[in-house]
Amino acid sequence: MRFALCTVAIIWALFVLADGVDPGNFKTCEQSSFCRRSRKVQSSGSKYALIPGTLNTYADSLTADLVNKENHHQFAFKLEALEGSTFRLQIDEKQPLRPRYRVEHALKGQPRAGSIRVQRETDGEIVITSEKNKAVIHGDPFRIDFYENDVLVVSVNAKNWLYFEHLRQKAQEQTPEPEGNENQQEQDAAVETPKAADAIDDPGAWEENFKSHHDSKPYGPEAVALDFSFPAAEILFGIPEHADSFVLKSTSGTDPYRLYNLDVFEYVVDSKMALYGAVPVIYGHGQQHTAGVYWQNAAETWVDIQTSETNVVSSLVNFVSGSRNTPPPAAHFMSESGIVDAFILLGPKPMDTFKQYAALTGTHELPQLFSLAYHQSRWNYNDERDVTSVSAKFDEFNIPMDTMWLDIEYTDGKRYFTWDKFKFPQPLTMIKNLTELGRHLVVIIDPHIKRDNGYFFHQECTERGYYVKTRDGNDYEGWCWPGAASYPDFFNPVVRDYYASQYALDKFQTVTADVMLWNDMNEPSVFNGPEITAPKDLVHYGNWEHRDVHNLYGHMHLMGSFAGLLQRDPNQRPFILTRSHFAGSQRYAAIWTGDNLADWSHLQHSIKMCLTEAVAGFSFCGADVGGFFGNPDSELLERWYQTGIFLPFFRAHAHIDTKRREPWLFPERTRQVIQNAVLKRYSYLPLWYTAFYELELTGEPVIRPLLTHYPQDKEAFAVDNQLLVQDRLLVRPVMQQGVSKVDVYFPTIDDKKNGDWWYDVDTYQRQERSGYVSVPVDDNKIPVWQRGGSIVPKKERQRRASTLMLHDPYTLIICLDRQGKAAGSLYLDDEKSYAYRQGKRIHVKYEFGNGQLVNHFVGKPKYKTNAWIERIVIAGLEKVPSSASVTVNGVSQQLEVLQHDLSVVVRKPGVKMDVDFAIKLNYV
Amino acid sequence: MQGLGVSQMGLIPVVVALAILNAGSASEVPRPLGVSLAKASLYQPQAGDQSWTCLDGSRSIPFAQVNDDYCDCADGSDEPGTAACPQGQFHCLNKGHQPVDIPSSRVQDGICDCCDGSDESQVVGCPNTCLELGAAAAVQRRNEAELHKRGAEKRLEMITRGKQMKAEREARRLELDQRHKEQVVLRTEKEQLKQNAEALEKEAIDIFKAEQREVDAETAQAEQEPQQMRQEASLSFMRYDTNKDGFVEVTELMVDMNLDRDRNGVVTIDEAKFFLDERERLDLDAFVTLAWPRIKPLAMLAEGLFQPPQPEEVVKQEEVTTEGIEPTPPKPSEEQADLAGEEEIEADEEGEEDQYEDEEPDVGVGEASPDVEEVTPPNYDPETARLIQQANEARNALEEVERSLREIEQEVKEIDEQNSKGYGLTEEWAVHDGQCYNFEDREYVYTLCPFDRASQKSRSGGPETTLGRWDKWIGEPKKYSQQKYTNGAACWNGPNRSAIINISCALEPKITAVSEPNRCEYYFEFETPAACDSEAFQAEAENLHDEL
Repeated sequence: MRFALCTVAIIWALFVLADGVDPGNFKTCEQSSFCRRSRKVQSSGSKYALIPGTLNTYADSLTADLVNKENHHQFAFKLEALEGSTFRLQIDEKQPLRPRYRVEHALKGQPRAGSIRVQRETDGEIVITSEKNKAVIHGDPFRIDFYENDVLVVSVNAKNWLYFEHLRQKAQEQTPEPEGNENQQEQDAAVETPKAADAIDDPGAWEENFKSHHDSKPYGPEAVALDFSFPAAEILFGIPEHADSFVLKSTSGTDPYRLYNLDVFEYVVDSKMALYGAVPVIYGHGQQHTAGVYWQNAAETWVDIQTSETNVVSSLVNFVSGSRNTPPPAAHFMSESGIVDAFILLGPKPMDTFKQYAALTGTHELPQLFSLAYHQSRWNYNDERDVTSVSAKFDEFNIPMDTMWLDIEYTDGKRYFTWDKFKFPQPLTMIKNLTELGRHLVVIIDPHIKRDNGYFFHQECTERGYYVKTRDGNDYEGWCWPGAASYPDFFNPVVRDYYASQYALDKFQTVTADVMLWNDMNEPSVFNGPEITAPKDLVHYGNWEHRDVHNLYGHMHLMGSFAGLLQRDPNQRPFILTRSHFAGSQRYAAIWTGDNLADWSHLQHSIKMCLTEAVAGFSFCGADVGGFFGNPDSELLERWYQTGIFLPFFRAHAHIDTKRREPWLFPERTRQVIQNAVLKRYSYLPLWYTAFYELELTGEPVIRPLLTHYPQDKEAFAVDNQLLVQDRLLVRPVMQQGVSKVDVYFPTIDDKKNGDWWYDVDTYQRQERSGYVSVPVDDNKIPVWQRGGSIVPKKERQRRASTLMLHDPYTLIICLDRQGKAAGSLYLDDEKSYAYRQGKRIHVKYEFGNGQLVNHFVGKPKYKTNAWIERIVIAGLEKVPSSASVTVNGVSQQLEVLQHDLSVVVRKPGVKMDVDFAIKLNYV
Repeated sequence: MQGLGVSQMGLIPVVVALAILNAGSASEVPRPLGVSLAKASLYQPQAGDQSWTCLDGSRSIPFAQVNDDYCDCADGSDEPGTAACPQGQFHCLNKGHQPVDIPSSRVQDGICDCCDGSDESQVVGCPNTCLELGAAAAVQRRNEAELHKRGAEKRLEMITRGKQMKAEREARRLELDQRHKEQVVLRTEKEQLKQNAEALEKEAIDIFKAEQREVDAETAQAEQEPQQMRQEASLSFMRYDTNKDGFVEVTELMVDMNLDRDRNGVVTIDEAKFFLDERERLDLDAFVTLAWPRIKPLAMLAEGLFQPPQPEEVVKQEEVTTEGIEPTPPKPSEEQADLAGEEEIEADEEGEEDQYEDEEPDVGVGEASPDVEEVTPPNYDPETARLIQQANEARNALEEVERSLREIEQEVKEIDEQNSKGYGLTEEWAVHDGQCYNFEDREYVYTLCPFDRASQKSRSGGPETTLGRWDKWIGEPKKYSQQKYTNGAACWNGPNRSAIINISCALEPKITAVSEPNRCEYYFEFETPAACDSEAFQAEAENLHDEL
């Protein structure tokens, strides 16, 4: 092993214990001054009120002044109606000493305004309506109740935990100036003596230390916090990224959930600790109503969760009596700086809220098909020969593989945009060898820039002042993979442009337009920084403190990268994988759950975490198959592949200290189990691709928790070891060691315990019963069911890469419901370019009923393809048809029908994808 | 179906362009695309109903459904020329080169897999490269055959030499056995002589001692050692204090790879601190008393000066109770004896840090025991002196025999070890034992000493890291094509290093590449004439030719 690596390892060792995360490296709420301060309000409450006579109403909004009755500081309040049952609530200081940060770039654009009508304005209460929704604003104490169809679904500040620290001058007699503080403004200050009611006496208000790190806090206390109650809900979920259950747990007696993008070494599961991403959207779900809140704030944020652990009896009583005797679930968002900017998503159904959130922050755009196929990664594939031989081995063992990945060691000393000339003397040849087989390459490009005067990128960033600055205006210097490193200030549009231009093929000449991107370490990770990230008093473009924008840093990095790839080849859809993410980052990149562990509990959390991410906008989510740290045994690796194929992003990856784990290095049986799993993934690619198109089209997540489609089934709320792929597949992978059966929950569709029919995708055996069912499994079994009533498109021919399947024929799997009906959709295009946005696409709905399958095109089918329908499988027919006939343009032709155990196959309909047809089953 | 006007219907053509029968001059037997000549007879329609049965016998289908781009047979046998069946095989004839079966998944995927292009439709336009490839392959085979032939000549020399060495070893082994027997007899004899002489000696000395009882044999040791220690320490201090600030700091120690106590290739802060008595830095005085005693053994070890005492030698020293026997050192004082015992532990690199501190108060204490040279034997009377002299001679004689026995046993052991290493079927590898070969890449110099060890040394200096010690031959199926070296230095946070040597034929022995595909698992590519086997190569080539 290399000496440099040793050094890095030692540096790591300085921060961490050998065994799992060292929680001591990360703050608790008690160690964070603003969290202490904001949380304190939970016992005392606050006193805010609207100032009578300040109300102004407009077509889509209203404004008023708000006052803190204790210190008389005034705030500007604005409530805006948006299209699609959404309200936006903003509170800022009326006259702040300096502007307070408002999040930019998270929303996909200016939200579309709705309209309001003031229904009633009495002293102390204003009632407005917007379509079928209603907001009741109470003046004193300040509170807003949001009604969806006259049902109270969200209540803002019902607990009076609104807490807004106005900017203030530092009192002179307070703690001595921190060393090196030459802020003129502060020395001129202190003319005002704070009123007693206004005093913030927390010792961390004006400067704060954590471990050996000092935070100078030149602007003092500036926290904002607000509570949201969900009276119609029973559970809360959302606010990724945490390695925790799908349903949020009460934080009573624990730390709040923390949203602060951090590089956590060997993170632990079942934890509310912050991880790499922060998406401050939360949902409250009950049997009848679902609502959400998007708290748009990029500063460090803690979220307290109040839920009452209700049992079945008490909830039944509540249901019968129509009242509840426990307080509704509530969330208390506490952010270190910025303003109150909250979007209230009124549902009413889970899918409505997901779509309302997607309407604000966008979706991942339709990815290239290859990125939905199998990715093979490792830290590191050592050299060109290594890459070539691993690729060849996949062919030798007939395991499909689309993309090889290169981690940091391919670079010349961690100088991004360069190659190690010894290990990779001919990158273009290596890339060509891959792309000629239909494969792709992804290389890592991290945001830390090696401070080396001989490195062009560092030189230019230094000369042009592109780096993030310290308080004193110097380039900030941290420590990361390259050693001493600085960090481009991606908040500056000029820096983003410059960064994007680096990807131009005449600039980055050692890659091609088929080489895609991995942005890691972009929290940002700083090995010697506080909590392994950047100090909060760094200064960004626009003179904003890092404190204000921390959770957006990775997002801004992605914007630069995405623009770079798009400019490099405007007609190819970029693929980027990112670790750090914020609300809206899904528009630019896929995510993975970071540096997990080869452990069964981490395998289980891959589903929980991706489900939460999916409802928070990040459908394109996966976990390192096999686990990043540690060495999985055969069984764990097999099960991990089987699980990984049913998450949207499917990549095997491993730490440099682990043993090699390419499938052929395991016993033959394991290799075959893995091969079967990967082949299964490839066979379902048409479904995944369709689901991603429909995500872009509608905002509906690709993978979904059961409650999405079974909202009234209380038993299903907390199920997070199963997932739905759209509404078509129910997946319950085996994620425990040494089991021969698993318990699967089949959700109910009504209160009479009726459920959908579900067909085992391997045998077509039908589950007609809802509730828990114990299902036997062997090592090859991946328990997956197709919903009766759905049609799933597949491609059952094997290829070595997904790109080579473009012209292969389709198989339609039709599983019938109780009425003998089924419906489904298929999307296809060139799988690579943006031509689909010019209509070069085929989006088709299939419907089966009364023994006949027909198709309907959504829009005109303008994409030209050689693909055709090779086979139709029908499960759930009462009788076996003797034959079938296909009719196209009035011309009919007889087809053979083959009987299998529990299904029939219509042999070779042979219809092309862009024609209208009908296939009728014949019973003689 | 043919009558339906395929294009208007939107139905795809049933018979794809590829699925025509092969009936050209290349192959006399007409057969479906993708079927080898050998299997041609299996693809004949049943006379009469024109049906055909899947090769696994599972189903009968119309012969027209063979290669109709739809998979009807579970074993994929009905679609030898299309990609329709997941388990299918496509036979490339590759006339002019080597025929090959490829998986059906590679048929019509837009990539030319067969050199004759038969796996893709005309549209893809695969060039037929079989003749060129065939010619190139033939050239390569000839070159390889030539290499093996010439290499085999060299190998013959190696075999001759190896066999000769083996014969020499065997002869030597026999000779040693004989000598061993002789020496055993001799030892018994000398043992007896020694016992007799010592009995006489003891008697004489007892008498003499009784006479001398009043004479006080008070002794002390010189304090020379501590002074020498301080001098060494100062020199070392100056070497370490690279920034010349009068202190030795943690970072200054971290560059000395001798201090890498766990031999993981790096001196960690903790390791460095250990030598500084857990402090950040030490001045000269503190260094002399606290640091040097800990560093010295490692420094000596590195310079090869420090030889851990052999257990039997220690025993021997303790046995010797009488002065005047020339090769043995003076009787150690009690403290020194303890120290000697502790040095043994230290030599195992697991020494406790306190040992030298314990010694500390003794260093420089004035009334130490007298120096070696100053020890004068008691003035024995002539008769006693004569008996002592005789006893000494008897002891020496026995010692001589025992040493000779040890030498014989050692040599026997070495020969047996060599015999068990496995120098190949015909001893062709024997000459490599004792040789070492180097390979340099950008960062490291790798060394392979066959049958001994593989190691790595940074080009920028530092100690050698053992990647593995000789373990065994592991080639499959050819045993002598791969060697394994195991139990090398442990990796930080990882396993012990190990190395696998892939062996191929060449005219001169050399390492051609070294890689580390798995962390701490090294692969050497090693070439040697020992691996050249003309006959085996010919046999393989003919085998291949038969398939052609």
